[in-house]
Amino acid sequence: MPLVLLTALVLSAGQALAHAVTAGDAGYIQEIWGVNLIPFTYLGAKHMVTGYDHILFLLGVVFFLYKMKDVAIYVSLFAIGHSVTMLAGVWFGWGVNAYIIDAIIGLSVVYKALDNLGAYQRWFGFQPNTKAATLIFGLFHGTGLATKILDYDIPEEGLLPNLLAFNVGVEIGQILALAVILIVMGYWRRSPSFFRQAYTANVVMMSLGFMLMGFQITGYFVAV
Amino acid sequence: MFNAEKPSLEELPSSAQLIRSTVIAAVGAVVILVTVVLPAEYGVDPTGVGRALGLAEMGEIKQELQREAEEDAQQHSAITAPSLADILSELFVSKAHAEEVWRDTVVFTLAPGASAEIKMVMAEGDVADYVWTAEGGRINFDLHAHGGGQSVTYDKGRGKTEGDGSISAPFPGEHGWFWRNRDKQDVTITLQVRGSYSEIKETY
Repeated sequence: MPLVLLTALVLSAGQALAHAVTAGDAGYIQEIWGVNLIPFTYLGAKHMVTGYDHILFLLGVVFFLYKMKDVAIYVSLFAIGHSVTMLAGVWFGWGVNAYIIDAIIGLSVVYKALDNLGAYQRWFGFQPNTKAATLIFGLFHGTGLATKILDYDIPEEGLLPNLLAFNVGVEIGQILALAVILIVMGYWRRSPSFFRQAYTANVVMMSLGFMLMGFQITGYFVAV
Repeated sequence: MFNAEKPSLEELPSSAQLIRSTVIAAVGAVVILVTVVLPAEYGVDPTGVGRALGLAEMGEIKQELQREAEEDAQQHSAITAPSLADILSELFVSKAHAEEVWRDTVVFTLAPGASAEIKMVMAEGDVADYVWTAEGGRINFDLHAHGGGQSVTYDKGRGKTEGDGSISAPFPGEHGWFWRNRDKQDVTITLQVRGSYSEIKETY
């Protein structure tokens, strides 16, 4: 009997091992090594689908694109932009401050909302190239993705294949999010009040962009 | 107004097309949820697809880490007195007098998924040297310390087979390793330590 008790005690102590635990996706990544293509693809897709800043920008980009061909062109430009800086940022370990880059991502939402509203034509009398803007802001979105991946502390071993898998996942996530956006927009555009509501919608989007900027800039100064 | 043309009705998808797309999206979402998301987030895998993809393992590890983080928070909020288990576990430390240079040698085997903690009780300023090797597979470790509400991480590694070094205790407490086997087979670790510490605690 005392022996059984002793074993139980040792086992229960084993249940409560104390060390600095990192939970969640980062915790998982810090427990594994080597090439894990499907898990990293999943994490990339998850990052995109749950990344409201990327989704907002994507919504702004496709807001007035009615033809699938245009959607494909613009979304590809965005994908090329964010893939380049995401891969390069992680590979070269760019130590960009996450708050600053996320504030610029917030700015990209504001920019696109104003662009949709025709503000640049009204204010400056010319239309800045929308394709170039999508590509350039894509580069900033990718830099933001890179800072998040660096936080994950992906092991050196298998870094490149895992990173490429993550990138593939980001694009899959983008397509999934886009599918939902296009279906919702499809219904909305058919309604006679779409064009009237579009103005308000882009103002709301701009407001959300400002909110993201304020949130990130404040974070830069107050977060530890 | 707007940097856009007003859409003509023929440019827009038809109502039937939209309804079909919605149904496909909803069914697709349920399929992805059950086969990918639930396994990867919660380790819940009713179809077995998540296991085949290697995602159920991710969910299980995340759930396990979450549990441990909560236990850790509880443990550190309470004042812990040395338990009987701690005192008894001291008895299991094999004193390797044959090896002159090393004061203690600890050998233990971890099954896949199993973990252990080997800690040295050190005073502030105490220094300890160590060397370890893993056989049979690769091991994850977290070399850290707790004591008096303070904590420090000296080193962390994953998928390693050996290590050596020296730690200098910045505060009194338990300084040492959390080991976990994330490999596919049993791993045996041989850890040798020397230096100024009062005792070794092992928790399996």
